Amino acid sequence: MTTVAARLRSIPSWQVTLGVALLALGFLIAAQLQSEAPRVSYTTQERVPLIGTARQLQSQQDDLKQQILNLRKQIADLESQGQGSAVQVQQLNTDLQAARVAAGLIGLHGSGLVIQLQDSTSAVPPGDNATDYLVSSKDVRMVIDLLWLAGAEAVSVNGERVTQSTALLDIGGSLLVNSAYQNQPYQVDGIGPADLYSRLSTSAAFGEFVRARGERFGIRISFAQPADITVPAYAGTINLRYARPAASRAPSAP
Amino acid sequence: MRRTSSQLSIAGVAVILGILLVLQLRSQTAGPGLDALSAQELTDLVGNLNTRNDLLRTERAQLQVEAQQLSAAEARGETSLGQLNTDLARIEGWTGVRSVTGAGIRVTITGPVPGVVVEDLLNELRNGGAEALSVANVRLVAGSVVAGNAGAISVENTPLGNTFEVAAIGNSASLTGLLTRAGGMIAQLRATLPDVEVIVTPVERIDMPPTTRALTPSHGTPHL
Repeated sequence: MTTVAARLRSIPSWQVTLGVALLALGFLIAAQLQSEAPRVSYTTQERVPLIGTARQLQSQQDDLKQQILNLRKQIADLESQGQGSAVQVQQLNTDLQAARVAAGLIGLHGSGLVIQLQDSTSAVPPGDNATDYLVSSKDVRMVIDLLWLAGAEAVSVNGERVTQSTALLDIGGSLLVNSAYQNQPYQVDGIGPADLYSRLSTSAAFGEFVRARGERFGIRISFAQPADITVPAYAGTINLRYARPAASRAPSAP
Repeated sequence: MRRTSSQLSIAGVAVILGILLVLQLRSQTAGPGLDALSAQELTDLVGNLNTRNDLLRTERAQLQVEAQQLSAAEARGETSLGQLNTDLARIEGWTGVRSVTGAGIRVTITGPVPGVVVEDLLNELRNGGAEALSVANVRLVAGSVVAGNAGAISVENTPLGNTFEVAAIGNSASLTGLLTRAGGMIAQLRATLPDVEVIVTPVERIDMPPTTRALTPSHGTPHL
């Protein structure tokens, strides 16, 4: 026993430091490899130009959306400036403003909740499906639906406003929201009553979602309740090519 | 000499530790992005972005014309009541607060289907370009959710029976093709829910009512 203690004491301190550092190094390498385990890394040469094209198209899309938002603002200003004395025009402008808010063509801010979803960092046990450990469009759609059911009145995903026409699609481990490319973390912002979080967290469906995705597969679900949340305006197309609107609103419409 | 080499070793290990720590922290907070997509997925992404950008260009062109017409009318001291009405009808029709009519498809579902599956179907129809949707003649708007367990689902407080209909206004050929293609939504439903029958019928005219849901925000304030 005394021999062992004497041998330990005889080890130079730099060797102890190096040993600890190497231990930490090994731990970090293992953690890094494990965090990338569910993902596949591709290295084919044909991907390079495709990535460049995708980035270019996404940049064009961002520009187009900004131009559309500017034009909508310009049109709203022009419409509100026209012959303001006419009662009919005033009423139309009031209706137009209300319609734009209802459509999500104007951004909103207010109380609410932010929910963030990220892939699991848990190791995938043998026999399990690795995709179960990744956030999918179904997870994000479920969170959106649960927010609506809890009383949210405006929702966005990574800054993309969710409207009646919004589709979410899986593309690899990423998402398309309103056909805009979104990468993790997925941040779902919901504007609603001040007690939106308690309404959500007490719903049975939300508890089931947390158990099924968070506890079972380690999907990271986090919350924040900032004092003020901004949900941006929808910047996509509202063209109707197949649907013809009625000449006037039905009396039952709000 | 020995002391210098040991210090160098520790310094080297510390540098590697630092790099790995940063990598680990970054991988915890951000996804892998485009680098993690396969060539096929990237091709799909490029196709989606192209289609969306074309639609956005069309929208921009239409808005530019509208802005020019309004500017010209204002310069003449006129107000285009017709244009204001057309704009209002388009926005309200798109949002769901005004009834709309058009060609599309009817999807008749019979059997115990959970709400999430109907939501999957609706997401597919939206992805296919459906311009207006209803379930059991209840118009869907932002905030409408078909929820509940199989056999007890509802939308906007309207219970859905054993048989109900989803209507979608849009390109009936492409919507039908999207749902009925091999490996598509209908095939998946047949495989996972054999007790559920789904029939897709293209129709020339669907009359879709407006929503009864109030869409004026009471908690959010518009950014004007």
